[in-house]
Amino acid sequence: MIRSKFFQAILVLVLAFAFFRYGIRPPAPWSVVYLYMGIVLLAVLVYISSDSDSWRAFLRPIHLVLVDDEKRPIRLLLMVLLPLFLGYYAYSQAAAKVEAPPELRAVHPAPASSISFRGKTIDVQGFENPLRKDAANLRKYVDEGGEIYVKNCMFCHGDNLDGEGPFAHAFSPPPAIFTDPGTIAMLQEAYLFWRIAKGGPGWPKESTPWNSVMPAWEDRLTEEDIWKVIMYLYDATGFQPRRWEANAALIPFPSQGESAGKAVAARVPSSSLRSRRAERGLWSPALAEAQQRGDMNAGKAVYGKKCAICHGEKGDGNGPGASDLVITARMPGTSMPPWKGLPEKDRWNLVAYIKTFTPDLFKGTPKVLDLPKEVPPSKESIVRGKEMYEAIECNKCHGRAGRADGPSAPELKDDWEQPIRPADLTKPWNFRGGESKKEIATRLATGLAGTPMPSFLDSVEKPEDIWHLANYVKSLAPDKPNYATFLRVKKVEGEIPADPGAPFWSQQAPSNFPLAGQVIVDMRNFNPSIDMITVKAVYSSREIAIHLTWNDPTGSRPDPAAKTFADQVVLQFPVKLSEGNERPYVLMGDGSNPVYLLRWSSDGGVGEANATAISNLTPQPAQAVEAKGTGVFADGQYRLVIKRPLQTPDPNDLQFPVGKFFPVAFMAWDGGAGETGSDMSFSSWYYSVLEEPSSKRPYVIPPVVVLVSVAAELLIVRRAQRKARGSVN
Amino acid sequence: MQRVLRWFFIAGVLALSLPFLAGISPEVNAQSSGSIVGEVKYNGTPPAPKVIKVNKDNQACGNEKTSEELVVGANKGIQWAVVSVVGAKGPAPKPAQKPTLDQKGCHFQPHVLLAPVGVGIDILNSDGILHNIHTFSKANPSFNKAQPKFKKVITEKFDKPEVVKIRCDAHSWMSGWVVVQEHPFYAVSDANGSFKIDNVPPGKHKLELWHETLGKVAKDVEVKAGAPTKVTFELTKK
Repeated sequence: MIRSKFFQAILVLVLAFAFFRYGIRPPAPWSVVYLYMGIVLLAVLVYISSDSDSWRAFLRPIHLVLVDDEKRPIRLLLMVLLPLFLGYYAYSQAAAKVEAPPELRAVHPAPASSISFRGKTIDVQGFENPLRKDAANLRKYVDEGGEIYVKNCMFCHGDNLDGEGPFAHAFSPPPAIFTDPGTIAMLQEAYLFWRIAKGGPGWPKESTPWNSVMPAWEDRLTEEDIWKVIMYLYDATGFQPRRWEANAALIPFPSQGESAGKAVAARVPSSSLRSRRAERGLWSPALAEAQQRGDMNAGKAVYGKKCAICHGEKGDGNGPGASDLVITARMPGTSMPPWKGLPEKDRWNLVAYIKTFTPDLFKGTPKVLDLPKEVPPSKESIVRGKEMYEAIECNKCHGRAGRADGPSAPELKDDWEQPIRPADLTKPWNFRGGESKKEIATRLATGLAGTPMPSFLDSVEKPEDIWHLANYVKSLAPDKPNYATFLRVKKVEGEIPADPGAPFWSQQAPSNFPLAGQVIVDMRNFNPSIDMITVKAVYSSREIAIHLTWNDPTGSRPDPAAKTFADQVVLQFPVKLSEGNERPYVLMGDGSNPVYLLRWSSDGGVGEANATAISNLTPQPAQAVEAKGTGVFADGQYRLVIKRPLQTPDPNDLQFPVGKFFPVAFMAWDGGAGETGSDMSFSSWYYSVLEEPSSKRPYVIPPVVVLVSVAAELLIVRRAQRKARGSVN
Repeated sequence: MQRVLRWFFIAGVLALSLPFLAGISPEVNAQSSGSIVGEVKYNGTPPAPKVIKVNKDNQACGNEKTSEELVVGANKGIQWAVVSVVGAKGPAPKPAQKPTLDQKGCHFQPHVLLAPVGVGIDILNSDGILHNIHTFSKANPSFNKAQPKFKKVITEKFDKPEVVKIRCDAHSWMSGWVVVQEHPFYAVSDANGSFKIDNVPPGKHKLELWHETLGKVAKDVEVKAGAPTKVTFELTKK
């Protein structure tokens, strides 16, 4: 059998497929696999057909299946399976789901040869970081760059420079991952300068301008600030910038040992090097025996590198990053990032080191908390959990429906007298203490130190009530937000209900879109109140109707004296649809690309507006407003329906096209939490489409394909058999 | 006659052992010790007490709460000031009754509770709604315990001397203090601003006054056996 050319060919194809599919890391996309398989198939055919003997040997088994009486069962089987397979393929193609069009963009487009920076012309080509010439102060510049990074960049690019800052999930394209060897490691410093100074709005056309939310930092940072941040980026990742060849020898860098952070590094250089490597995922700890105890000296080095920037060298919260966080940013309770990226050993080392700040508190042996026996989730358990939820008055802070809108919620303060919000129990993915059932039960049992969340272990009727409560909390929401990638608008017949509570709306499929704080222009919002909006959209022959749901823990109570404002939500569209991927700047447009806004506010109802910048918004006059809508608020949640005719006579309105993709973005303000103007949360651009009414194609084409392929098979088999008989005779 | 005598003896035994029962150091008794009596006065025009509008649980809490962070009586006496003898030694008194902190009308009663180290304090919830006892301390471990309506009593103790702030996060206006001492020589001023510290050993002492908003004031006194020593503290807003 191994001699059979046919078998050999199949073997080669199977092996090649296995390699392309499973042998390449990270996995290659299917389109690439298909392409490579096509090449392999052609190569095999070329090889086999190189002489006529081997070609005949290859064809023989195929021929036998077609004509040999002994192979009749195989022949019949194939004749049934092949048409079915083709029919299925035809169905899957005809019924293909509508997907957002792919975005192809150049990742590192060539920069302009020179840019103008605050009125000054800077040549990007051949330009070097001027601060590197000041060799004596390199360390100082890097540290200052770190400070600037924490105050400006960290929110998207992350503390670990891994592109996983608290707002990163809300943006597409996602923030650059500096620790990835494919980003800053292959660019010159001047290129970074250009990207930072000009941001998303400065991308050239081949990078589909405006889609990136990266701000143009020239508005906020000085030239020197930008060079410092660049130095910090290379220092913190351990990468070297690419250099203009002629100047390469002249540029000094802080040495490796020195760059590992602060003076402590000299004593334990290996650990900081390790954490540096761990950032890139190259090192995972295998020293199990050291984990639980932790080495406080090693912890000190990690602390110096990762924590001191906010928490201060002495752990008193007086790091250079802290003043900005606390004073201008309402950050407490939310700015601490998850440090799962650090190797576990480093984390234990940190615990050991942090304990040395307050040695008295850690003299005794820690108490180990025993949770009562776990209760599996059941209808009864959830009912009991709800009963307990009401009996122990969780609603006081977390609200009746768990949406963080309880009567005590607005006044809560953490142990440092900073305002803090209760957790929204319908968004478990945000839980600081973790979202698993056990983590929820632990949080209930112990409380959350530093916050108003008290311990309930001895304060429920029976100890196992902790588990009933955890089961109830778990029943309030799915584990994951399942963010949508685009907004589908389905066609419906007849009148669309204007009441957001109408049963019609609960039958429509929801799409969740993440919102992030607006940290680009002043007033920046580092701790947005609204982080998700749920959208359902349909259209009829006459109008489009969009149903929006979002949690707002404060309700509406505009009061300028108390610095509270009306709640608002905005749907943003371009005024004109471009043929390519070009879109207006996502933050309310730009000079040449205005946006059209459908908006609603708790005190003004539905309106329409146009904008070319966040500071340049023009409401449309009342007679031009054709959109209508109703919003209702209950238990910490708004539900709103906005309707507008598909077509309007107004040239400043978007005319909704059927069957064509158009961009949409969302913005929201929790006025009760003081959000107004640019102090808000917003989303990236998403695609939306008014789907054409579903055709009958998926039910017509496959049967035709099956019939045609059966007929073709019969024809081929009959011809082959006739020929075989003829040659025998 | 014999009966009368027996009662007399019993009464005598009781009288002699009373100081022991109250936990007062045996070295210090009425004959060889003095007392400090005094007043805490507000100097100047006291500010009007803060009034907080109650916006939740009105049935249990009422509609208004007057802040107790500075309570000045009719004759300018300041309530809730704690006066202690600095550096005093002596076993913490074992009170006949457990110190009790009640939450009644969404209000800690008393506002300032004196408690000896290591003695259990009964924290009551008389309101029938959720409160939480959230302490802020450094020497003692802080805790934050929920006390739902059915949890009538929680008992807690503090093992180290400290002025501990307590708060109820569910009702932001609720705040109180537990002053924990390891000796018996301290007292809290009453509604007239008066206080009295008994059984102080004779000699020179340093007194320290603590008030939550007016801060700390120190004063030297000389205590004579068998006589009360008068002290007046005059405080003003800083």
